[in-house]
Amino acid sequence: MAIITVDGREINVKDDALLIDELLANDVSVPHFCYHPALGKDGNCRMCMVEIEGQKRPQIACDTPVKDGMIIRTQSENIARVKRQMLELELVNHPIDCPICDQAGECSLQNFYMEAGLYDSRVDIAKNKKQKHVDLGANVILDQERCVLCTRCVRFTSNITKTHELGVVVRNDHSFISTFPGIKLSNPYAMNVIDLCPVGALTSKDFRFTQRVWFLKPQEAICDGCSRGCSLLVDHNREKYKDDLIYRYRPKHNDAVNGYFICDYGRLNYKKENDNRLKFAYIRGMESEFEYATLKLERLLKRYNSKALLLISPTLSLEEIYRLKKLSQKLDLDINSFDENFDESFGDDMLRQNDKTPNRRAIELQGIESSKEDLQKKLKDKDFVLLINRADVDMIKDLGYDGSIGVLSSSDFLHKDKLDIIIPVASHTQRDGTFINCDDFIQYSKCQIKRDIESIKILDLVEGILNDGVSTCEAVWDSGLKEENFLKDINFNDVRFNSIKIELK
Amino acid sequence: MGFKIVPRYGKSLKDKLYLPALFGGMKTTMSHFLKNLSDTSNIKTECYPEMQPTDITSRYRGVHRLTHRDDDSVRCVACFMCATACPAECIFIEATQREDNVDEKMPKKFSIDLLECVFCGGCVEACPCDAIRMDTGIFTFVAQKREDFVLNKEQLLANKEGN
Repeated sequence: MAIITVDGREINVKDDALLIDELLANDVSVPHFCYHPALGKDGNCRMCMVEIEGQKRPQIACDTPVKDGMIIRTQSENIARVKRQMLELELVNHPIDCPICDQAGECSLQNFYMEAGLYDSRVDIAKNKKQKHVDLGANVILDQERCVLCTRCVRFTSNITKTHELGVVVRNDHSFISTFPGIKLSNPYAMNVIDLCPVGALTSKDFRFTQRVWFLKPQEAICDGCSRGCSLLVDHNREKYKDDLIYRYRPKHNDAVNGYFICDYGRLNYKKENDNRLKFAYIRGMESEFEYATLKLERLLKRYNSKALLLISPTLSLEEIYRLKKLSQKLDLDINSFDENFDESFGDDMLRQNDKTPNRRAIELQGIESSKEDLQKKLKDKDFVLLINRADVDMIKDLGYDGSIGVLSSSDFLHKDKLDIIIPVASHTQRDGTFINCDDFIQYSKCQIKRDIESIKILDLVEGILNDGVSTCEAVWDSGLKEENFLKDINFNDVRFNSIKIELK
Repeated sequence: MGFKIVPRYGKSLKDKLYLPALFGGMKTTMSHFLKNLSDTSNIKTECYPEMQPTDITSRYRGVHRLTHRDDDSVRCVACFMCATACPAECIFIEATQREDNVDEKMPKKFSIDLLECVFCGGCVEACPCDAIRMDTGIFTFVAQKREDFVLNKEQLLANKEGN
């Protein structure tokens, strides 16, 4: 431990830590472009200047290790002047096209100008012209004029993905970011450079011009693209007279699981929440009233009893799996969770996993059978199969089953007329729940977006049948989930805010 | 909640009778009536809509219009500043890529619901491009259906500067 004094305030810091890390961790405002915790120091933007007592000139905080007894000033007249001068240089060739820039509202250059700039422009010569919208590939669009050459994106491709697609070419104020001739930006994590870019130089082609960022409301969630379960920010907005739609996913910093990044597949996975949704309940191919369909489902399950099978999906949350297991015990239904959503070519050694479902581990831990042989055996004497949060009807037909089938799904699918009952359920971002990832971290997905399309949460559906008043995640934990062996030392309130590793005994 | 006691005026007998005040009012009314009847040419009232007002200043906030660039294309870049500033939330914009190299962004749809608009002029103030103005001089807008009060991009572009 070391003690440093910042603007007259004493703070405790770790020995040998970088000064900028400690300042930012203690809510001291330090403008910076090139420094990023995941990419380390580079020292090219010179924005993070602080005054250190005993040193002649201002020093950059991103390349200064802390020493015990350091006295730092971040607000002095001298520092303000230095920051203003750095900003003035950054903005000499900046096009100031904020009205058409997608970054406006979350742009470091805008924020720092409002914080440390606020000067009148002294530039009366023409600005350097560069290329305005270069399609770099991988859904990334480059605006060379807006770039401040912090090289975060270059360092990301050389240090993190090690694909080396980007570089800085040409000298002086003519330099710009570019790919090698004839080569496109292409790696499974490429879109992270959009978040890394502190200004509007790298923007998303997918998000381009769809919304201004200040309209978006972020909610926290867990990615359901693979079993890694990266932390996400779900940016959604309900425009007047329209439905609440999701416009983008962003990574949320989580050291336990994904660090600062997510993969492009997960990032673009928001589309399934908006598009191709199941909108109505169907009974034998006919559109049906919602209430009637849920009551009908209850009657079906109670009538078939041991002749019915719940085929659950590993995309369900821990609470939903627990409740469905309980339902199967109460009504004497069979349960299985065979699912072959694996992609051997998907996983890599960074974040992506071959298992493309978020919660297979929870099914394992709750002891629900998930083998194909078991499913085949159980299907033999069944008259009713209910697919829950999945719609792979062909799969069970291929296994030789030809009885009646019900489907609870959030997304639309073909050949609905052949099925007995179909009820639309809440999609991943419409209901909260906890998920256990491939490394046994238990995480809570908080996001609950209210959509106009009619759907029911599976917890509510099960509550309607069991009629025991347990319909929220917390109530499910209290009703017995917390007694499960693997959750013995874990408290739901802790899971809400942190990723917690499950200790298996 | 506190109460504010307002003193009641007019406690004299004359005030309590009401009639003197009533006749005082009638006197003013009748004097104007007789004056106008004797000289109809001097009446201030205009026979709208046959007569149109002539005293609308250039600062009057009428129906909006979208301005044009020198090459007659739309000036708006769909930055949503007007929609952000609008207190009635009556501006509906959908942005798209502009392909003619004049600029990068333009509105695909831009409509204003005049029934919701409170004509505050906030959008004009907010616009960084001088793309929206309320200087058409149209002080009354007539339509048959509610839907017709929603002006779309083409209608707003067709509106011209008035007086």
